[in-house]
This record gives sequence, structure tokens and C-alpha cells, in this order.
Amino acid sequence: MKRLFFLALLLTALGPGLRADVPVVLLAAATDAELQPVLSRLTGVQTERRAAWTFWRGTLAGKEVVLTRTEGDPLNAVAATTLAIRHYAPRLVITFGAARAHDPALRPGDVVVSDRFAAFDGMYSSVTPGAGGINPLKWNPLPHLLMHPDEKEVPAVTFPADAGLLALAQKLHPARGRLLNGVLGSSAQVNREADRIAVLRAQWSTSCEDGESAHVAGCAELLGVPAFGLRVIDGTDGEAAELVRQLVEAMP
Amino acid sequence: MRAMAIFLFVLVTVLPAAEPVDVLVQGAEKLEVQEVVAALEHPQKQSIGPFSFWVGRIGPHRVAVSLTGQALINCTTATLLGIEEFSPKLIVNEGTSGAQVPYLGLHDIIVGRRALDYGGLAAPARAAGQGSAALAWIPVPQRLRDPATGQLVEFPDGFPGDEAALAVALRTRNPMARVFPGIIGSAHEVNLELDRVAWSHRTFGMDVEEMESGHVAAIAHACGVRYIAFRVVSDAPYDGVPFYPQAARATGLFTVNFLHNLPPL
Repeated sequence: MKRLFFLALLLTALGPGLRADVPVVLLAAATDAELQPVLSRLTGVQTERRAAWTFWRGTLAGKEVVLTRTEGDPLNAVAATTLAIRHYAPRLVITFGAARAHDPALRPGDVVVSDRFAAFDGMYSSVTPGAGGINPLKWNPLPHLLMHPDEKEVPAVTFPADAGLLALAQKLHPARGRLLNGVLGSSAQVNREADRIAVLRAQWSTSCEDGESAHVAGCAELLGVPAFGLRVIDGTDGEAAELVRQLVEAMP
Repeated sequence: MRAMAIFLFVLVTVLPAAEPVDVLVQGAEKLEVQEVVAALEHPQKQSIGPFSFWVGRIGPHRVAVSLTGQALINCTTATLLGIEEFSPKLIVNEGTSGAQVPYLGLHDIIVGRRALDYGGLAAPARAAGQGSAALAWIPVPQRLRDPATGQLVEFPDGFPGDEAALAVALRTRNPMARVFPGIIGSAHEVNLELDRVAWSHRTFGMDVEEMESGHVAAIAHACGVRYIAFRVVSDAPYDGVPFYPQAARATGLFTVNFLHNLPPL
């Protein structure tokens, strides 16, 4: 009963918009170096640690934000995103950083903004006897299943990106390179085999790969929070952060 | 759609936590948890976000049973929510798996001496037309940041199962087949090429592969919660046995027996 009371209270508070004291945006990046350019601009910073994960709360361009470090791998990224959503109730999650190209047309410095995400780590192979070899180019894609409240899992080849922020992102000004919409892929893999990258792109429609973006988006989708992502191909530490700063500044 | 998103969002944000439990039992699929839920005395269902939990008693223990869903995103999220909500003293992650060694057969259960994530890799560069060489890939171990030092620490061997729970589990009866201590590997993969199956055993010592234990073990380690995993063999590629989902019943019954054998925590 007590829980129902709190639930009703929270629902009431959420009515037309989020509470004034609820942080607006969760900003997630892999490393201190990628976070630092944003962190250095935060005012009123409060640092909170929860187990292995750290959260920095503050104000950026007049908006309440929370920063977290995803460590560049799916598990840490999902953990940090889960804890941030549970404790800080962001209305939006932005994942940002550098990425490696899957699309051969991409060049260093190009910026890919998410119209979707693909967690491309799922695979199943066909039955092959011993001494039959290992052939990753023939592995089949295995989409993630996201749990729903009806206790059923729904397969998701891609996770959605927030359309409003995608539209807003079209006004960004990359320091070098072009701005393109695309599919941000992630896994705990560093793929440098051209033939395998081509297969992954054919199976998942990925524009690029990194260690966490689609897993952050998948976790956000699981918990009902919109997500958006931004990746600079072979980017340097400050590049994506500068674009995120522009984006947060432009947000209504 | 928006109403669903707000519903999930509200359900997952922090509300007053439930009464703590002794054991959080997790399964990815309904078939994996149904025997444990059925064994609960006075079960009460609770939802957090998209996840269902059933709380009750088994033997001397207050238990929360969690339906996590498959693979890293679901199980990592469900584990953190379960830890925060129920403050368990021990996590038991149980379910089905694929044998990685020839000696294991259908319904055999591996109790995890260790559980690890084997999905991380770094591939050396190969130009177009040169194909893919999986045996040349370099494994990338799971890392966690140590709050005491602030350093990222690699766990190439994964995370050990709780010794006391392991000892109890090895004295527990599997009503359908045998029980062995072993090593459980997790990734979002179903490997049916025997050469790769042999590689995973050779490289990581893996006895079975599945999609959750190593991830849950990492979260349990980070949160300082005792952890053990049980995996029943549901497919055995060396024997040509395809996935048999009903094998999940064995791991559920084994878990109930384990909880009855487990002394008060």
C-alpha cells in the first residue's frame, strides 16, 4: 500500500513533464578522457559512486544532467545506465564517443548520429563436425530479446533512437568531416577483418562499431527511456564531447 | 507506446525497497524458474520495470525468484534491480546451457566453480578478400573498476562461485542426471561448430556455454554479493543432441533441492 502511495505520488509529479529537480539528460561515455570536456563545463557538480560505477550530477547549458562512465564495454554500460535511470530518472539518454567505421564510405572525422542502434554481438553457428573448421563469415545473426512486463521477450534487431534529438542533431557542426544519420553498432569486439566487417554490416546495417552505444540504448529501451547516440569515426577525445555540448545547448 | 514507456520508467525509478531476501534465484526463461516459483510458500509477485519477481519462502530461506530474460542486457539490468530491491545475501543463477566437452550429456548439471564472459575479442587486421580467422582473435576479458583504487581490473578467469554454496550444491541431488563442478562461459552466442566448441574449452576451460552467468557474476562481484551458478546441459553438440528446452526442469528442481540443503545464511 505504501508503495502504491509513492507510485501515485510519482505519477502525479510526472504528469505534464518531469519534476524540476529531476536531471534532464543522462550523458554516457566510455572513458574519463571522453567525459572530461563535458565534465569541465558542468557547474554545481556532485559526484556519487554506486558499486563500480560513478555518476556526476550538475548543470550544463542550463540543463540538469548526469554523466556516467561506461568503461567501453557492454556490461559496464548497461550497469551504469540501469543505475542512472533508477536513481536519477533521466528523460533522455545520450551515448557519445569515438567509433570504428563499418561503412566503407565513412572517413575519419565523420560524425554518425543515430537513427537506430544495433547490438551486433549475437550469433549462432550451424552444426559442423570436428575438423570442419570455424567460419565466422557464415555465422547467423542472433538478435537480443528485450523483456516486456507481460513476461514475454521480444526480439530486437535494432533499438530505436529519439527522433526529436535526431532532428535537432542535424544542426550540429562537426570540427572535420560530415554529419550522417546511421546505425550505431556495439559489442565487446574490436573488428579489424574487412570481410567480417562487411558481413556484420550486411546482417545488422551497422554504420560503425564501438563498445557500448547500442547496449546503452537497449537498456534504455528496456526501461522506457528514449536514447540517442553520436559517434565520431576515429574521433579524438574532445570531438564527440564538443558536439554533445552543442546538442544539450540546443535542446529546448 | 509512450504510455508504456512512462509506465516502465515509473516502475523502475527508486521507490521504498522491499523487505530483504536471503537468496535471489534467477532464470532467463519461464521454464527455468517455474519449479522454483512453484516451491515458494505464500508467493507474492512484484514487478520492477519489465521484470517479474516472486517472493516467498523455501526451507529456511526468504527467496526472491527473478525472471531475467535472456542475455547481457536483460540479465545485467535485472540483477542490479534485484540487488537494489531485495539486498540478497546470495544470488543463484540457474538455467540451460550447451555442453562444451564430450563427457557431458543431457540433464547433467554443472555447478560453476567459475563463470566468465568469453564474448570479448580483438581481431588482428585482415584486408578485404583475406577472410576471417577466428583462432587468431585475441580474447578481451571483462573489466570492472575497483572502487578502492579507482583502477580498472581485468578478470580473464571470470569470477569464482561462492565456496560454501558450491560445497552445498555438490552434495545436492540432480533428479535427472549427474552433477559436476565446472566452468561456465557466457556470451550472446550459440556455438555449434565443434572446432569452436573445442576452442572455448581449450582457451577458457569452459564446460558449458550460455548467455547470463558470467555477466551476473560480474555484477554480483561488483556489488559484493555472494554468487553461484547452476547450468543443466540442454544441448550436447558432441552427441548431436539439439536444444531441448524441457531440460530446464532439472535445473529448477536441483535449485529447490539446493535451497532446502543450504543452511540459514
